[in-house]
Amino acid sequence: MILSGWEAFFFWFFGLAAIFAALLTVMARNAIHSALFLISSLVSVAALFVLAQAEFIAGVQILVYVGGVMVLFLFVIMLVNVGAQERGNEEIFNRPRQVGASLIFCFLLVAAVLFAVNTAYPKLQERVTRQASGEAVATMANRRLPRAATLTSSLSTQSESFGAALYRYGSLPFEIASVLLLVAIIGSVMLARTLKQERSADDMAPEEFEEELIEHPEVATVEVNAD
Amino acid sequence: MTILLSVFVLLFQETSNGRFAQMKHGVVNPDLSKFLVIAALLFIIGVAGVLTRRNIIVIFMSIELILNAANLNFIAFSRQLQETGSVNALAGQIFTVFVIVVAAAEAAIGLGIVIALYRNKETIWVDEIDLLKW
Repeated sequence: MILSGWEAFFFWFFGLAAIFAALLTVMARNAIHSALFLISSLVSVAALFVLAQAEFIAGVQILVYVGGVMVLFLFVIMLVNVGAQERGNEEIFNRPRQVGASLIFCFLLVAAVLFAVNTAYPKLQERVTRQASGEAVATMANRRLPRAATLTSSLSTQSESFGAALYRYGSLPFEIASVLLLVAIIGSVMLARTLKQERSADDMAPEEFEEELIEHPEVATVEVNAD
Repeated sequence: MTILLSVFVLLFQETSNGRFAQMKHGVVNPDLSKFLVIAALLFIIGVAGVLTRRNIIVIFMSIELILNAANLNFIAFSRQLQETGSVNALAGQIFTVFVIVVAAAEAAIGLGIVIALYRNKETIWVDEIDLLKW
């Protein structure tokens, strides 16, 4: 896989944008700014997916992450963060010990990546070129994609082949994932209930609820939407 | 001084296969390793965020960054295998979809926990949530 021309330009553009936005995500003082920078980082990574010819995954990334998960994040920030804005010059990072530990892990990872790139990668590249000189070139020539009407971009059949592969090799995990999502839906609804909602669902004894009410009188003012 | 300079010139001489020319070629024509480098940087930033931030929601967002770095690796290797004509080259993309599913479930549950925690402890700073501390 070697990108060239405009592909290379967009690779560096979106790669550096992803890293820059990720840095700002971690360093922003306001959690909402963090969420917005995370969204731009995720979109840049989706563009990198497109450059790696995974258009379907890029679409899923934008729909699920940016459209679903990040909206959920923003809602929770607004629910939780009202009285907890990071004030003035208050520390946003943990104690120096944790920062030091993270720096140590970062250096370990950088060293490992450099080592791997310097030793293993040339061998991989050698193997790839050896394979590419053989029959793989012929299969790639057969798989040449039809051009779009503008003659600039290839019309990709990637989504089609991805769907076939998903149901051929991953149909059982696919079903298990649906159960996982169901469990997540039920679990998040259970976790986010208020005391009053719990009582109306009848898994809390009424006298226990009265005790809780004496301890925290503010829960009585919480509106109950569902009965 | 002159020795150092000559070593420098030797290392970075402008020849077709000198180190500088190779570096320039790698930057102009990015390949698999550049994808891996960007994914590793995103992973590092995510780990740093998880370990250092105090806001529990920002910690969750850093976890999303880490998962995204893993996804980028999967996609890049899948692309590499597609070119070598491997049989199941799309396995990386399939795995990426499942990673996204698990990330969505994790975010839903995690944020539910955050809301329950905020209701009980009135805080989102992780250093104030020390119920399990000895």
